[in-house]
Amino acid sequence: MRNFSILVLLIWVASCNMKQDPIMVSAEELHSAVDKVTDIMVHDIFSPPVASRIYAYPNIAAYEIMVLNNDGYNSLSGQLRELEPIPDPEAGKAINYPLAALIAHMDVSRRLIFTEEKITVFRDSLYGIWEAQNRKEFNESREYGLAVAEHIAGWMDKDNYKQTRTMPKFSVNTDDPSRWQPTPPAYMDGIEPHWNKIRPFVIDSAGQFKPTPPPPFSMEEGSDFYKEVKEVYDISNEITEKGDASEEIEIAQFWDCNPYVSVTRGHLMFATKKITPGAHWIGITKIASRKTNSSFDDSLYAYTKASIAMADAFISCWDEKYRSNLIRPETLINEHFNDSWKPILQTPPFPEYTSGHSVVSGAAAIALTDIFGENFAFDDDTELRYGLPVRSFSSFNEAADEAAISRMYGGIHYRTAVEIGVKQGRDLGQFVLQQLDMKNESALVAN
Amino acid sequence: MNKAVTLISFLLILASCTRDGELFHNPSPSETGIEFKNELTPREDLNILDYLYFYNGGGVAIGDINGDDLPDIYLSGNQVKNKLYLNKGNLKFEDITEQAGVAGESSWNTGAVMGDVNGDGLLDIYVCAVVGIKGLNGYNELFINNGDNTFTESAAQYGLDFDTYSSSAAFLDYDLDGDLDLYLLNHAVHTEESYGRANLRYKRNYQTGDKLLRNDGDSFTDVSEEAGIFGGIIGYGLGVAISDFNQDGYPDIYVGNDFHEDDYYYLNNGDGTFTDSLKKYFGHTTRFSMGNDVADLNHDGWPDLLSLDMLPEEEEVLKTSEGDDNIQTQRMRIDRFGYHYQFTRNMLHLNRPGSYYAETALQSGIAASDWSWSALFGDYDQDGEQDLFIANGIPKRPNDLDYIRFVSSEEIRSKINNTRLVDQEALNMMPSGAVHNYYFKGKGASFEDLSHTMLKKDTLISGATAYADLDLDGDLDLVTNNLYREASLYINQTNEKANYLKIKFQNPGPNSYGIGTKVFSYHNEILQYKELYPVRGFQASSEPIIHFGYDQAEIIDSLRIVWPDGTFQLVREVAVNQTLTLRPENPKIFDYASLLPKHKKHFKKVEDNLGIAYEHVEDNYIDFNRQKLIPYQISDRGPAVALGDLNGDGRDDIYFGGSKFYPSQLYLNADSTFVSQRYPELARDSIIEEVSAVIEDFNADGKNDLFLGTGGGDFFGESAPLLDQYLVQGENGFTKSQLPEYYEHASVVKAHDFDGDGDLDLFVGNYTRTNDFGVIPPSYLLKNENGVFEILDNKLPENLGLVTDAYWADLDGDQNEELVVVGEWMSPRFFKNNMGNLTEIFMLEQEISGLWQAVIPSDIDGDGDLDLILGNWGNNNKFRASQKNPLRMYYGDFDSNGNTETLVSIPKNGKYYPLEGLEGLSGQMESLRKKFNTYRSVAGKPIEEILDKKVLREATLFEVNELRSGILMNNDGKFSFAPFGQELQLAPITAFLSYDFNKDGREEVLAGGNYFGVKPYHGRFGSFSGAMIAGKNDVILGHEMGMDLSQKSVRHLNVVQMNGQHYVLVTFNNSKAAVFQWLN
Repeated sequence: MRNFSILVLLIWVASCNMKQDPIMVSAEELHSAVDKVTDIMVHDIFSPPVASRIYAYPNIAAYEIMVLNNDGYNSLSGQLRELEPIPDPEAGKAINYPLAALIAHMDVSRRLIFTEEKITVFRDSLYGIWEAQNRKEFNESREYGLAVAEHIAGWMDKDNYKQTRTMPKFSVNTDDPSRWQPTPPAYMDGIEPHWNKIRPFVIDSAGQFKPTPPPPFSMEEGSDFYKEVKEVYDISNEITEKGDASEEIEIAQFWDCNPYVSVTRGHLMFATKKITPGAHWIGITKIASRKTNSSFDDSLYAYTKASIAMADAFISCWDEKYRSNLIRPETLINEHFNDSWKPILQTPPFPEYTSGHSVVSGAAAIALTDIFGENFAFDDDTELRYGLPVRSFSSFNEAADEAAISRMYGGIHYRTAVEIGVKQGRDLGQFVLQQLDMKNESALVAN
Repeated sequence: MNKAVTLISFLLILASCTRDGELFHNPSPSETGIEFKNELTPREDLNILDYLYFYNGGGVAIGDINGDDLPDIYLSGNQVKNKLYLNKGNLKFEDITEQAGVAGESSWNTGAVMGDVNGDGLLDIYVCAVVGIKGLNGYNELFINNGDNTFTESAAQYGLDFDTYSSSAAFLDYDLDGDLDLYLLNHAVHTEESYGRANLRYKRNYQTGDKLLRNDGDSFTDVSEEAGIFGGIIGYGLGVAISDFNQDGYPDIYVGNDFHEDDYYYLNNGDGTFTDSLKKYFGHTTRFSMGNDVADLNHDGWPDLLSLDMLPEEEEVLKTSEGDDNIQTQRMRIDRFGYHYQFTRNMLHLNRPGSYYAETALQSGIAASDWSWSALFGDYDQDGEQDLFIANGIPKRPNDLDYIRFVSSEEIRSKINNTRLVDQEALNMMPSGAVHNYYFKGKGASFEDLSHTMLKKDTLISGATAYADLDLDGDLDLVTNNLYREASLYINQTNEKANYLKIKFQNPGPNSYGIGTKVFSYHNEILQYKELYPVRGFQASSEPIIHFGYDQAEIIDSLRIVWPDGTFQLVREVAVNQTLTLRPENPKIFDYASLLPKHKKHFKKVEDNLGIAYEHVEDNYIDFNRQKLIPYQISDRGPAVALGDLNGDGRDDIYFGGSKFYPSQLYLNADSTFVSQRYPELARDSIIEEVSAVIEDFNADGKNDLFLGTGGGDFFGESAPLLDQYLVQGENGFTKSQLPEYYEHASVVKAHDFDGDGDLDLFVGNYTRTNDFGVIPPSYLLKNENGVFEILDNKLPENLGLVTDAYWADLDGDQNEELVVVGEWMSPRFFKNNMGNLTEIFMLEQEISGLWQAVIPSDIDGDGDLDLILGNWGNNNKFRASQKNPLRMYYGDFDSNGNTETLVSIPKNGKYYPLEGLEGLSGQMESLRKKFNTYRSVAGKPIEEILDKKVLREATLFEVNELRSGILMNNDGKFSFAPFGQELQLAPITAFLSYDFNKDGREEVLAGGNYFGVKPYHGRFGSFSGAMIAGKNDVILGHEMGMDLSQKSVRHLNVVQMNGQHYVLVTFNNSKAAVFQWLN
């Protein structure tokens, strides 16, 4: 009996004492929630376009909550295609907005990835801490965060993603010499041939930034296209001769960003898994946010803007990929120049034109430059955990240019796909900037 | 009482754990003295990463090396030294390795074989080595038998000291000069990063290329190049079989290659050269070819071939292992890189002289035995039929999908990059592949898995295996070389229960053991046939004897011995249960032609094809790209063919339907030949695919008209090419005439005046719809009113079925035709016609739901009423169906995205499993990836644990309980099903023709089949050569009667008349139409 009383007392003391602490959610917690999504995506193996979609929606969910509490930012409802305003919080509830935003972020993420367990374990440990800090604030913020997540999920479910899952696969036709073919070693089917049917966020249509076509296919010596193929082959030979330590090879590997590199060693097969191009730029966003000591709200703004630009960039790029259906250098070089040639990077499983990394890097750099400014120098350590070194850049655009050219060094793209690609991304990025009115300048001035 | 029960159960459990197999007893190493153990230790610089065949194991060779008639055992090891065990009798063995000097000098040995290399009558030992990889040194060693239990290593002297990547070697006298030549089987280690072209095999590579070595008396000469033996960098040779496959007296060679390289089928030209003839005789082969073996299973005197692969039998392993190719990858490897069709499962190739081998592993029950190294046929229970022992297992399964996708990256990447050694912990995450060895009891080419009763249940990793009568009791014992464990002896307990004969040869000249000698044994009119080629299975050679079982027969009527030099002798009235030693005695020249089957050729291919140059071209549309889970394609059911007089000259012309991008073609009968005639008005719609066509005078104007049923896989919804076509012939050719508007995939159109008004009406059977496989579309009765067709509503049930064929025939003898309709996932349906009013009647003794492809009425039993011959899917495939456990197909929108899915599940041990694992299922239903995060979490789960029960309940369920083709016997208007024999179940039967070919007053039924519109998971159904069916048990197969329809997919069989002769026109999908002449 006496034990029981003590227990009750202790519980009372515990709940009462903790109850009053306001829950603090910092930018670091947002960074780790985003990192968590990145980790799970690496594990689950999402292709680059799908990954870009997985980044965008949680960020938007969190952002929409955040703007309710920050006059400096405007809601995206009415600005993003078919996004309706999120529900208002119930009056009188003790909503901690950053907390609700983070909870919504995790919940939308959970819906998008496959291995939910990995996010629920992470979430529940945070929930435990927050609940202990302030149960009422936590519960009411959670309730609201989840309601917003539900709202965003309803919007997300109508973006045609589900329908594209059962659309026809890309048909291989080896009779057409210009048409893309699956490449070694895994000879995977072309991924996401219907990504242009995904509802874009900002751009009018997948075809809005349709690039000029690549040089007409011809393996006739001296033709523009032939020269492009030959250039990839020559560069590859040149830098291979220089060795693994050459600047070009380092650049190629640094920006590889291939979520699934299949390695076959005889009977033994395994995958080397890395982050996607989008994830790399999300990583750069984190670096810039930290370097500028950005608050939770400001970091979230950066993530949201960058991820929207990149998601639309993938839609635009994939639209062109399966329009031109261009064959990869590896197939042609093996056929015409050297049947044992292998690119420095593994050729990813989709058509060549335009370069996805170039388009998305162009778009991301424009968005980040807008947020953090021109000539924003940073040390990019995003790929450290994948065994790659730190590289330093003097601006986002410099990084984007390097990411683009890295695809040529890697032997997986022709020059045109890289040059036109990065332009396609920048044009699209500029358009996104023009269209989105996220910062409330008057409020900022007033502050 | 309770205690007693407990005790008994305990004892039972104990007993079952250690229980011997009923057929084979495994004595312990301490009893036998054979303690050789192939222990493997991965080193930093030598492990599964550095050498892909790290786990392939050593070899075993058995033979009497000291002339005491007791077979001795030589075992080779990878990292352990080789051992020679002298058989002291009573299953006691003595290790004489040291004194014999046969431990070997090489650092990694593989196959070991015995043969009399120098022709002194003593067995020598050739042991292969892998040299040059990661510091492995040495060379292939040849231990010449000195006759005193010692050997002298003489490989260099004989020119056989190769320092290459050798798997094994086989002795044969390919040039019949009387001494033993050697085929050296080497393997590539080229990591399979990209396929490269098949012609890489022409570029010789010393390390990896196979070699043919001619014995020139005191040394061997490499004659590979001039003999036509491939020696490229892609020859992953793991299996070699020597046999005179085509019975011309010259030994031939089959080489099994791992990975994407084709197997090689070298036919000996008899002039010192070979011709690889794989694509000419094999429709497809194993993909990861491992060991193989040859034996005559079906008593026809021709060698049959089994090649092993690695398809798991257990659901859980199956669904966690990397399976067959994606269909597009496979097409690319074939069309672009030049390889042949290969599929991941064991392949049993039954020899059909002059034709393709019939591949029957699925029908025979031996397609899946997991990671299989060695196959040895033998009559282990001595009942006169060949049984089969398969040794298998792998320490770790590197093709485990969870490991590849989810574990490997995090766990081993850095380790590999830094130390190049797979961390033990990471290796431990790979599941073990220690699968029990298999024993199949044979009857002809059918096998029953008796592993669990005949063998002690083991977890051995067994590779090289050899047989011998170790205890001299007459039956065949086995020895397996195991990884990490002592070699196993399988001592056969048949003993006196059944009779045997063992035969040894004393052949004059250097081939003293008579390698290549053939024995035809006859008892009770049963033929058994064996050739003496001791190198068989995998990295091994067996005792050089011929062994036969005779069950309870006491006397063998005769033995015909054909010596390697092409002479033969007959030995009559031989008593069983003895060891015969035979030498040539007054041999006579053997006439090999006498072995050729003496079938009467009823047909002859017409050289000029009667002028018909029609070739059907199927576009490369893949239905599975659109609906990933459907059981087979629907887009490849064409072309249509119709015969009728189109130009009013009284002779039948031929209409061939068009396919996508290829317009239809018309051949007019011009007396002595057919002549192609272009009708621009018919060529207009070149994208429509015509599946069925009828030529009749529908509008009674004296000119024949055309009705075309259209389909095609790429069309759906209200797509114009799906509209059937009605072309009326007038003064100026054909004009398109109005038809009721309906958009369906027609499968069959049958004309009949069902309303008795004197003109022809139509039944139009429809199949299913593109992008919605499983939906039952309406089929139609089209009533002819003065040449205009209108749909008769409500005369046919709406859910008639996925119709494939139909017939109007008087089945109940009332002089009025009934309509019989067959289709897939349905039972045949019957409709009685009363002036256009159709009433369904039930004429079946029992519902037989099948994947029916074709039907034809014929009075097959001659009792005056019409029976129905039915073509079905056959049983040589991965589907399984019975009355008790039908095959199931669920149809519904499982993931609620507005598109339907079709999911086939097959019964296994009373439970239902989807055909595909997580990868395949989630390719169509991504939500499963959220429900199941790993391959293992789906593997082994029945379908109702994968999809929600509710979803399954709401889905449409189709069932099939009969896959065999057969006859519906008409017994006074009631039909009962009698399936055909196994030879007519090799592939789907898709077309029939009933005609009195031999003018005996009764029609025979000609049947054609084969089908290729399935995923690599199923393989290719190409082994049916066609058949003439004159009665249930009166069947002649196509390849036996001069009309070989193997490896082509038949759509139509028609009789065409020309100059009073009758011919058979065979129309194929995606191939040239062929004309055969009836010879009588």
